[in-house]
Amino acid sequence: MGKGVAITGMGIISAIGNTVAENYLALIGEKKGISRIAWIDTIHKNEIMVGEINFSNAELESQLALDSNNNYSRTALLGAIAAKQAIAAAQITNIDTYKTGLISATSVGGMDMTERYFYEYLEEKSLQKYIDGHHAGDSSQKIAEQLGINHSLVTTISTACSSAANAIMFGARLIKAGKLDRVVVGGSDCLSKFTINGFKTLMILSDTYNTPFDENRKGLNLGEAAAFLVLESDAVVKAENKKVLAYVKGYGNANDAYHQTASSENGDGATLAMEKALKVAGLNPKDIDYVNAHGTATGNNDLSEGKALIRVFGENLPEFSSTKAYTGHTLAAAGAIEAVYSILALQHSVIYPNLNFKTQMKEFEITPQTTLKEKTLSAVLSNSLGFGGNCSTLIFTKEP
Amino acid sequence: MLKTNKFIQSYSHIRNNTVSKNGTLLFENASEAFPDFIKAAYNALDTGYPKFFKMDNLSKLAFLAADVLLKEIPSATNKEQNIAIVLSNRASSLDTDRKHQASIANKEDYFPSPAVFVYTLPNICIGEISIKHRLFSENSFFIFDRFSAEHLADYTNGLFLNNKAEKVIGGWVDFDTDTYEAFLYLVSDKGSIPHNKKEINRLYRL
Repeated sequence: MGKGVAITGMGIISAIGNTVAENYLALIGEKKGISRIAWIDTIHKNEIMVGEINFSNAELESQLALDSNNNYSRTALLGAIAAKQAIAAAQITNIDTYKTGLISATSVGGMDMTERYFYEYLEEKSLQKYIDGHHAGDSSQKIAEQLGINHSLVTTISTACSSAANAIMFGARLIKAGKLDRVVVGGSDCLSKFTINGFKTLMILSDTYNTPFDENRKGLNLGEAAAFLVLESDAVVKAENKKVLAYVKGYGNANDAYHQTASSENGDGATLAMEKALKVAGLNPKDIDYVNAHGTATGNNDLSEGKALIRVFGENLPEFSSTKAYTGHTLAAAGAIEAVYSILALQHSVIYPNLNFKTQMKEFEITPQTTLKEKTLSAVLSNSLGFGGNCSTLIFTKEP
Repeated sequence: MLKTNKFIQSYSHIRNNTVSKNGTLLFENASEAFPDFIKAAYNALDTGYPKFFKMDNLSKLAFLAADVLLKEIPSATNKEQNIAIVLSNRASSLDTDRKHQASIANKEDYFPSPAVFVYTLPNICIGEISIKHRLFSENSFFIFDRFSAEHLADYTNGLFLNNKAEKVIGGWVDFDTDTYEAFLYLVSDKGSIPHNKKEINRLYRL
């Protein structure tokens, strides 16, 4: 049984708030961040709803005090804002005091700028700066620069919708192995035509508010967001007398071995990921007090994940809910967004409602928690299930 | 270099219009074009997996080279056997990347296909092998300038030492415009060829 890795700071920007506090207030106030799309001019704008952050790029640039020559994608802008919040929350004033790394997750990287300027790149010299910002690693480098991380591990994880969960898992393992003293882990993804069109092609975008685990669910709403956690070694926590928010207690990642995009009908990968995470944590299913489900509101995910929950928990399934109805599916950032929500749940002894749920799914008996519920929580399990069967589970606890 | 006491149980090559296993020729066909050759090999080797025809060239190459090795192991038991996959190549998924690029290059004639796009990553071929043989195991795909037995052997030994796998399929699967080459090997407790850099290089060059 493994000891947990301390979480000492967190930051977030999403469709339901620009800070951790704002996100929490929206969660308990049952305020959705889903609307028609405003910042992207897409031909699908009347057929989709999204979780959009209500700042223009110029406003985000000014929050970061960037000059006009910058080549930040919106992914990098959102990521830098959330990561800086996390560092501030952890009361880190000098990043170089300890060996500090950054593991950042993204799926779109700088695709928002590429799709905007692609056909102008050959002629328009002033736009060519965005070519360097295209690849996923560029957003991580920019976040690292913003944090002043110059001498340590900076890397990017891109495993679709489980990316940020894998970044958190990788960071926790680096701390446990003694490779780093401190690591900033999380993810960022902005909305883009690339993802809107891609998911539209797969016919899994809802034309209205998404309804996780509902029999009549019509698909997901895409969202944009970024969130980061600061993980620190026990030695740093002790030396600095740090307040610990919660612990990364367990983690698991498994391959579904089923299809390039879809999840297996019986949730093989999700089952394996949850079992592995429980094993790493040294916990039994009955020790989990709340499951923050992946729950994207696609036909495929909710069926597959629900079956996996039944396989893992049997009669011991605690309250579960998906927060995707609040934020939309924020893809590579989702694991970090929901890590923040899981930690807030532990801190405030509260379970968030699975909004928009009306009708019980016919394939099984399990029903999500649909009202805000107060409950003392010791351990929260959070799933992030990616395309290609890249399934990850994290377990957060109050005690190490 | 990390060391473990493992053996190369079997190995396969696909190159120059031939498929061979453990150095023995299984199939030969004079087709000029790779798609014709690999389709003929699929038929001759009695593969019986219609999803094969949806795959891109790199996946067809890797899938068939792995299938030759995995055929002897009943797939129902693969999950328990925990066979990891560690592949490498030089050209990544460039062959399919170019096809995808051609479909989006022209603003007026813009028609990307999800069926092509899904293969614009090299490790999708590992997914295809895992799906067929029900492997829920560890896997990695590395891009190198050239074949690197040392890296493959080190990574494989690392998996064994950390109890991440009981067997490992390692090797090289490269597909670029008009060249292709696959060399895969299965590492386990069984066999007579020691698993080390020297033997991997020797078998690669056979």
